[in-house]
Amino acid sequence: MIRPALGLLLALLAGAPGPAAERLTEQPAERLTEQPAERLTEQPAERPTERIVSLNLCTDQMLVLLAPEKVVGLTPLARDPAISFVAAQAARLPVLRPSAETVLAHAPDLVLAARYGAQTTLALLERSGVRVVRADLPDDFPGIRAETRRLAALLGVSARGEALLAEMDARLAAPPHRFLQDVGVPAPTALIWGARGYASGPGTLGDAVLRAAGYADIGRGGRLGLEALLAHRPDLLVVPDAPRFPSLATDLLDHPATAGIPRRAVPPALLICAGPFTARAVQMLVR
Amino acid sequence: MKPAAIVLALVAICVGLFGLSLLVGGAGFGVPAALILWQIRLPRTGLALLIGAGLGLSGAVLQGSLRNPLADPGLLGVSGCAALGAVLAFYWGISESFAPVLPLAGLLGAALGCAMLLGFAGRAPSGPSLILAGVALSALAGALLTLALSLAPNPFALAEITVWLMGGLEDRSLLHLALAGPPIVLGCLLLLRLGPGLDALSLGETAAASLGVPVGRTLRRAAAGTALAVGPGAAVAGAIGFVGLVVPHLLRPLLGERPGGLLAASIPAGGALLLAADLLARTAPLVLPLNQEPRLGVLTALLGAPFLTAIARRVAP
Repeated sequence: MIRPALGLLLALLAGAPGPAAERLTEQPAERLTEQPAERLTEQPAERPTERIVSLNLCTDQMLVLLAPEKVVGLTPLARDPAISFVAAQAARLPVLRPSAETVLAHAPDLVLAARYGAQTTLALLERSGVRVVRADLPDDFPGIRAETRRLAALLGVSARGEALLAEMDARLAAPPHRFLQDVGVPAPTALIWGARGYASGPGTLGDAVLRAAGYADIGRGGRLGLEALLAHRPDLLVVPDAPRFPSLATDLLDHPATAGIPRRAVPPALLICAGPFTARAVQMLVR
Repeated sequence: MKPAAIVLALVAICVGLFGLSLLVGGAGFGVPAALILWQIRLPRTGLALLIGAGLGLSGAVLQGSLRNPLADPGLLGVSGCAALGAVLAFYWGISESFAPVLPLAGLLGAALGCAMLLGFAGRAPSGPSLILAGVALSALAGALLTLALSLAPNPFALAEITVWLMGGLEDRSLLHLALAGPPIVLGCLLLLRLGPGLDALSLGETAAASLGVPVGRTLRRAAAGTALAVGPGAAVAGAIGFVGLVVPHLLRPLLGERPGGLLAASIPAGGALLLAADLLARTAPLVLPLNQEPRLGVLTALLGAPFLTAIARRVAP
């Protein structure tokens, strides 16, 4: 359960659904990002929202940031500092194996999950009378604002949500060189290049981060091979922080032929899930 | 045709494929930028030639020394053991701290595989039982490799099973060439000197011993040379099948049945076969709607199987 989920999330980091996503998702991928989560508002606030279980790394992080005191269970992934921004806090919070049985045993008021994946688990929970909220996974900053506000309202902590967004907006304040583009100097080009060569591109969170940092994204989504990367040579290559364990997929990023391209490493935890913390990735890329 | 002429013709094919190989890659057809040429296509081409040469020669030596036309480092599990060793060193980060550990681990795996095979052959020298033992070793190596990748700490490891089981040369660098090249060359030199011993062994071990050929030493050298020629290659490109099996069979109609007579020609023949397969692997995503390159084992089988089928039909009674 954990390994496919991790693979799925890292595939998402790469900007394209991996095979696991295709297997688990029952709806076409395009629908995942459409339709704001009406379910979040369909339940008025009178039902208690004190004991919350999260079944997805992205909702884990939002829950820890918004209402750590309400956590009954996070996914074990939330404690992994390589992929979770809230790993330090999560180390002091309970984690649950994300299966229907363990969740039911803790009788939560609310289960937070992503709109995709683990559909069989969620359906089983709903049939057992548990309230399940499927959160959206935004891929740009307006989406992050909307989703943070919705979740904060749902958890009854709107003020904390606004505080997180104010901090995010402070980090997003216009990059110092933006004026150059106003006078017609073309933006420098950049590319986020992840494991197996999966690249940023239109409609990905990485693309939003690059644009917010003042770069033109040359990625087109999907895989970009080593030779194609060298042929399109971006001004800046953004790669995930050095992996803790090697694989051919991540070895590619250190191929000596890329040595001539300026690169900056960004922790994958900032780019896998969208949240107010995604602004930190922008800050790391602003020159 | 004289053997020397055949070797020369095969070398000429290698040179032609080498030139073509520099013109095809992920960036498209044609002469690439210098960086792509030197850092990506050259190491890849060199690795394909060297690894293919090592596989072809060790196939010829194994078929001669074990007196079995099915002997092949892939089929007998030597390549699988080498890939297993490399996987253990690579995914747990041992080779990251000291790069030469990677080919050494492949070498060690291949040597263990050879030792197990020869130990078995020493006690039960009949052909079918040796092949059975080899198939068992190959299955065991494949299973342990899959298990090792399932347990590997990196979540991408499992997706890389096909590379290790079927071989692939995508995005290798000059470092890989520098790591795998020297031991392969050394192994080939060691194996090339075995010709007279293999010719004598074709009369049977007792007859060979009566001719003054040190049978045990010849077999041990064959094993050590095979480990050197196959292990480091499998450590950087996975277990590539079929080359070692098909190359001696392709050469026998041209050069005769004498095992020692096949050795020199099996080097360029193996190199040409693997380079041709790799060239096709690189061309495939450029002309077909593929999201990644087909694995080398797929293409060596596609290239070699028709030849082997034709030969099998001809030698059938």
